[in-house]
Amino acid sequence: MANAITAFLLAIVSSMLIDNVVLNRFYGICAFVGVSNKVKSAFSMGVAVVFVIVFASLICWPIYTFVLTPLNIPFMDTLTYILVIASLVQVVGLFIKKYSPALYKSFGIYLPLITTNCAVLGVVQNNTDTGLNFALSMANAIGTGVGFLVIICVFSFIRMRLEESNVPKAFRGVSIALLTAALMAIAFMGFSGIIS
Amino acid sequence: MSELKKNNIHKESFISGIWKQNPLFVAMLGTCPALAVTTSFEASFGMGLLFLFVVTCSNTLISLLKKIIPEEVETPCYIVIIAAFVTLTKMFTNAFLPELYSSLGVFLSLLVVNCIVLGRAQAFANKNTVVDSILDGIGNGIGYTIAISIIGIVREILGTGMLTIGGIFTFIPKFSIPVLKFVNSSGVVVYDYSMSLFTNPAGAFIVFGLIVAIIQANKLHQKNVESVNKKKELALKKSQALEKGAN
Amino acid sequence: MSPVVNWIVAILVILFFLIVFIVSFILYKKTPPPKGCEGMEPSDEKCHGCEQEGCHFNLYYNKTSMKCTEKKNSDKTEENEKENK
Repeated sequence: MANAITAFLLAIVSSMLIDNVVLNRFYGICAFVGVSNKVKSAFSMGVAVVFVIVFASLICWPIYTFVLTPLNIPFMDTLTYILVIASLVQVVGLFIKKYSPALYKSFGIYLPLITTNCAVLGVVQNNTDTGLNFALSMANAIGTGVGFLVIICVFSFIRMRLEESNVPKAFRGVSIALLTAALMAIAFMGFSGIIS
Repeated sequence: MSELKKNNIHKESFISGIWKQNPLFVAMLGTCPALAVTTSFEASFGMGLLFLFVVTCSNTLISLLKKIIPEEVETPCYIVIIAAFVTLTKMFTNAFLPELYSSLGVFLSLLVVNCIVLGRAQAFANKNTVVDSILDGIGNGIGYTIAISIIGIVREILGTGMLTIGGIFTFIPKFSIPVLKFVNSSGVVVYDYSMSLFTNPAGAFIVFGLIVAIIQANKLHQKNVESVNKKKELALKKSQALEKGAN
Repeated sequence: MSPVVNWIVAILVILFFLIVFIVSFILYKKTPPPKGCEGMEPSDEKCHGCEQEGCHFNLYYNKTSMKCTEKKNSDKTEENEKENK
């Protein structure tokens, strides 16, 4: 039992730090670069992404294993996943609108934008493409979500400092952000040997 | 006159997708595959071609169905159409180009949520004729292929030193063009100036950031030239008006 | 299972998920946001990196103007700098 829990936690850490979702696997780049320089909206975006990724993996893996594979239509996975993710986003948004104005204020407006985030569909598709079991899929999903949240917050802190400094005109905006992300990627390469 | 206009619109919708409104460098959409699959030139070229196929087909079908789909359920229908074409592309690639399929990995499925495909469908294909939509799709596809191939060539040459062709498209005999690294026929490395940083993820960010900076510098330079020209014209007009007033 | 039955089952499954999506989509559009949250738009903040059509999936995005106001402000400040010089 302790072995299983250790393996689960290690899987979370590995998909959060070692195989980082944005800096190594390149999943959520458009949202990552397009997020504003304000820390608050970056945090809201990250929390919304964690929500959606965890719920989407919770629902999509059983659908693949218990509905698509027995019916002999595994090629329908992409279409099914995107429909499930999109309807999940709408349903979660519906619940938040009706029953929790506080949550709506904090991240409700970012929910429809997360449907086209590569990270959600990427993680869900990767889980079934590589044939992980349910526990590892959930670990992958949680690690990815939390990793995205951490990275986006760190990045927005750095961008706030960049706004006030004297960047050459050709590099202002997206370009300097990408070069900063390159430096962050080099820094995160240092995590690669942690888990043997 | 109307025929001339029609020809111009066709040309414009085609050319704007290639250079002026290049979906990757100007509109900054679809950047996830552009950073992830560009470790080799052939993989990025293959990705561009598959993207061209998906964009053109989805634009065509959506433009054909634009009068049937009610406006409230646009987005779900577009998603289903695009996902159907992506599934088709996946099965086709798995059957005929299996090396491309294994090197692209999950990014082939991520064409479904590619901002360019959805964006073109909602901004262009549901308002214009079929021919315009097809041309727009082909133009955007060619623009994306050129852009992603540029990144692929730079990363492969700087990262591995050699440009390898034929590794993924196996119907071409495999050969490598040595640029920064030269290996003798007996296996001895003659010179090796490649920087393996560029095959790492950090190198992708560096290459992409520098290319965006170059394009932005070009835009700023053009704006500068335009504003200088405008000031000259204004000064000319003022001096002409003064002369007239003096006369 | 024969291929024909395969195809029919596939189409039925997709239709089921599509209907769930359409129903939830329309319900989401029709419920109003809670009190105190009307008029919140992420389009100004979200469009900071993307040039124009990146926000198409946003239900509140202004499709007529399709411009990012933050970009316009940065262009204006650059022109002001050049005029001052």
